[in-house]
Amino acid sequence: MIDKLNELEKNLSNLDEISLKKVPELLKSLLKDLAHDVDNYIGDFPTFIEPVHLEGPVKIGDDVLLGPNVYIGKNVEIGDYNEISNSVIFDNVRLGENMKIEDCIILKDSVIDLSDSFLKRVILSGNNKKSPETFKRIAF
Amino acid sequence: MTKEDKELVSRIKELESINLARDEIRDVVVETKKGIEKENEKLANKIHENLLKNKIKSFDIVGAIGAGKTLILEKIIEKISSKYKILVICGDITTRIDAKRIEEKGSETIQINTGRECALNAYHIYQIIKNKNLEDYDVIFIENVGNLICPSDFILGTDMRITVVSITEGEWVIEKHPMLFKMSDIAVINKIDLLERLGTNIDKMIEDARRFNPKIQVILTSAKTGKNIDKLLKLMNLD
Repeated sequence: MIDKLNELEKNLSNLDEISLKKVPELLKSLLKDLAHDVDNYIGDFPTFIEPVHLEGPVKIGDDVLLGPNVYIGKNVEIGDYNEISNSVIFDNVRLGENMKIEDCIILKDSVIDLSDSFLKRVILSGNNKKSPETFKRIAF
Repeated sequence: MTKEDKELVSRIKELESINLARDEIRDVVVETKKGIEKENEKLANKIHENLLKNKIKSFDIVGAIGAGKTLILEKIIEKISSKYKILVICGDITTRIDAKRIEEKGSETIQINTGRECALNAYHIYQIIKNKNLEDYDVIFIENVGNLICPSDFILGTDMRITVVSITEGEWVIEKHPMLFKMSDIAVINKIDLLERLGTNIDKMIEDARRFNPKIQVILTSAKTGKNIDKLLKLMNLD
């Protein structure tokens, strides 16, 4: 799994010249191999549909539904009322609340706060609220 | 979301009874509850269509914690896994204890941890089956969260609903939980290997089930000894 994560991250490292064609296959292949592990979180009993892999520690808000097929990296915070499926969330991401995130990749250190949004098949990075000039949203 | 909105959502979630809603939010609570029921039914129908299209037999197995749902499923899988390609979906508040037990019998199993929700709903099931290649399966079993109350609020789109009770829960258990039996196709009265020791009034249990649902089929089993599991399979059309 770590190899595939690294390969995905490497492939996304230069967003301006991104090879979008490879992304769906890489994402699918990574999520197919996911080992279910939800031990490492702080939160009030979210709903998990396996497989969900929390590299952790992950802070999870209220009424969150994770899975199936979700990888979450280290030091991630997930706000209330989020639903995430078939997605990869890299390290140090902060997610706001009330988003439905499906088939997405959120790059490390991002802060994404798009309340009441349905995000599907997009790569997100940057900080959409405090530094909008850094925010990127690329469909694949 | 504003603080007021969050408080409203929190309040609606906590309210089991519309009567507890303060006047100013009563309408919202009623509309929300109706909306949820409607959405669940819509999704359940979609699930059922999908499963029928793929010629998959499906079963929702409900019952209190400790009634014997998992052991019955283990016995069923032991008997039919060579004939059918099986997927099992297990629902529990937390842990994957049941999923692990069933996996050890050789079946593909997916665990849903429902957290603060006391039953599986059609959305949980839909999220799983839409990510699966349904051509790979002949039979889907869903083992619901262990309780005899909440699952009656959410149909899951399966062919059959089977409610499992055990004689250790006492002979009044069916009389006290009519809703689930009204919606079930089969009532399994389990742990009959303990009948002599406990003296539970089985006749009353059978009578209660049939009174609430004249069409329900009632069967006495012992998952521990294997008694009548073959007959149960026949009732499920899996023999």
